[in-house]
Amino acid sequence: MAALLRYSELSDWFGYVSQPYLWRVVRFSLWQALLSSGISILIAIPVASCLVHRRFYGRAFLLQLFSVSMVVPTIVAILGLVVVYGRTGWLSQLFGIQIPLYGLTGILLAHVFFNMPLAVRLLLQGYDLIPSGQWRQASQLGFSRITAFRLIEWHYIKKALPGAFVLIFMLCFSSFAVVLSLGGGPKSSTLEVAIYQALRFDFDLNKASFLALMQVAICTLFAVIVYRIAPVNRQDASLLSIELYVLKDSLWAKTTDSVAMLCVFFLVIPPFLAIFDPVFSTVFLQTLLSSSLWRAVIVSLQIALPAAAVSVMLGFCFGVLARFCMGRKYLTFLPNKIEHLGNMILMVPGLVIATGLFLLLRDFGWGLQSSYWIVVWVNAVMALPFVLRALMPSLYQQERRFRNVYLSLGIRNWSRWSLEWALIRKPVAQAFGYALLLSLGDMGVIALFGSQGLVSLPLYLFQLIGSYRLEEGACVAVVLITFCLVLFYMSSRLIGGASSVKN
Amino acid sequence: MLKIKLQYSWDSFHADYRVNISPGVTTLLGASGEGKSTLLHLLGGFLNGHGELDFNSESLLGLAPYERPISTLFQSDNLFPQLTVWQNVAIGASPSLSLSTEQKDKVDWALEKTQLVDKTGRFPQALSGGQAQRVAIARVLVRNKPILLLDEPFSALDPALREEMLHLVKEVTEELSLTTLLVSHLPQEASLIGGKVILIEKGKVVAYEPVTVLNQTPAHPLFSHYFGVSSHSL
Repeated sequence: MAALLRYSELSDWFGYVSQPYLWRVVRFSLWQALLSSGISILIAIPVASCLVHRRFYGRAFLLQLFSVSMVVPTIVAILGLVVVYGRTGWLSQLFGIQIPLYGLTGILLAHVFFNMPLAVRLLLQGYDLIPSGQWRQASQLGFSRITAFRLIEWHYIKKALPGAFVLIFMLCFSSFAVVLSLGGGPKSSTLEVAIYQALRFDFDLNKASFLALMQVAICTLFAVIVYRIAPVNRQDASLLSIELYVLKDSLWAKTTDSVAMLCVFFLVIPPFLAIFDPVFSTVFLQTLLSSSLWRAVIVSLQIALPAAAVSVMLGFCFGVLARFCMGRKYLTFLPNKIEHLGNMILMVPGLVIATGLFLLLRDFGWGLQSSYWIVVWVNAVMALPFVLRALMPSLYQQERRFRNVYLSLGIRNWSRWSLEWALIRKPVAQAFGYALLLSLGDMGVIALFGSQGLVSLPLYLFQLIGSYRLEEGACVAVVLITFCLVLFYMSSRLIGGASSVKN
Repeated sequence: MLKIKLQYSWDSFHADYRVNISPGVTTLLGASGEGKSTLLHLLGGFLNGHGELDFNSESLLGLAPYERPISTLFQSDNLFPQLTVWQNVAIGASPSLSLSTEQKDKVDWALEKTQLVDKTGRFPQALSGGQAQRVAIARVLVRNKPILLLDEPFSALDPALREEMLHLVKEVTEELSLTTLLVSHLPQEASLIGGKVILIEKGKVVAYEPVTVLNQTPAHPLFSHYFGVSSHSL
């Protein structure tokens, strides 16, 4: 960001401020982000509650799908959405319903597809903090679902909601590929798209830095307001092992759960199925045999694996630092700030980070050959907020519950990690999985730095679509999403252990 | 009369409890890991066992925990930290916290009985261990279920406070004609609270006798092994 600011002219900025186009873009960015995050969270609350209380066939699969859907490469998801909701899509063919996909509706549909599952996952983390003793009491006292929600669940999820809201708001506010593909023209454009236009088409670093700064300022302001009114997230330690206790069921609860699941069924599942549609086409086998595809797969793995490792390592650095500050006299205010610092990366557009890093490296005399490491590094940094979300709650919980035991027994460093590993491996696996998938599906950074030798799967897909080889592109999308699913499963299995897959 | 004929298996532990318990206080004694808490969890409906469980000729086995005529007090996690003392007691009367005047009076009566009138607006974090368990007992009073199960709820309290709580339980049991089952590690607690004792060994009820059996010298043949274990463990 600093590197970018060196190329800016303050005097020009006043000119930008007076442009009505800029304010229209800001207004639209804000409006669509507020709507997207609001709708995502409103749907996510009953869905999360249903997933906590009901055990049904396919629940585990749905949870895995939720983990993956938020990190599905944007371009792949957009393909799926077009197949389902497009002018000649499934919805139109089956029910004759036409949805104006290009414009605000399309953007909202795509954002809810990406972020509702993310909101559910974040709320489920909030649910994990409810001590089992409370469920046991609720079961004994005959709480209905609505009473349990009012007296127990709401108390915990209202603390997870502001964080989830800010995260989703920022993701939607800085949405790039979705708006570029489904925005349908300059009427529905966001700041991030304006930054891209300034960088890519005009190479106007001055304007880009102004817009980036504006985006950071709005996001910071929003985050500060939300965190100021948000309750503090405190953990109640319970020694009771996590179990599911029966609550009183009712027709009302069943109806609410069914409606919530129907929403999921219509919003999340069809685009996923649509992505796999080309499997039955004849082009699929030809695409699989193409050497460019496998070269792109290797490049993707070469980027995603180190990026995920770096991201998790960065996450641990943040976590260890925050834990160190906990319970220390003058540092108790720091852990929250450290976590927010990690989230701040979301405010700065990926394109800006990448361009800034590129300019910085150029100043040091390192040329384009370093672009591979720029892509890895930027991907790792961009995944950090997700990694922190997955890692921090369990790291904090360990610290709160066992700090004194560790201190009194003198368990430190490696001995402590080996003791903690069994309890934190599940979140670590989740963090690694998120980082891996985000890097695997990245389109922004690679689009800027991709070259002949550095074509990842999403870029290859983008190139195919760009040259109107849509059918081949759809097949590549199947390969990409299959890789995502397999790698996420393997990451859960190998790092998180067998039980993490079951959950 | 509480008729128990329950089997439960978990890993290599196989329990088979058979006993008919009459109203009043009964203390469950036995060494650690013999299956005392398991029996209470089976009765409360928190574990699923096989067999028969009848109370006054009504079968309880197919009922969910909240449908059983039972209140359980656990070792910990009895209170909701997000609710005040008054609310924690009131949810015993109405889980939705919408109480009739009569129910409100009952909550106030229970709080008075447990000497918590001046603590009604406090949150559980601001209470001492003894006060917190008194809140849980106040909720039992409000719920007014005929069976009370106590899974070592006073084990973390100091001896004087523990004695006070046991007297409270005894008083409540007699006043409301409850069938109370108390899990304990200490035969002295059984002697203090009176009633009967059950000895559990390896998941089986090996004795169900009046509490006076504990004062016999030499020790009652069925209890001699347990006392041997107790004295070794002391």
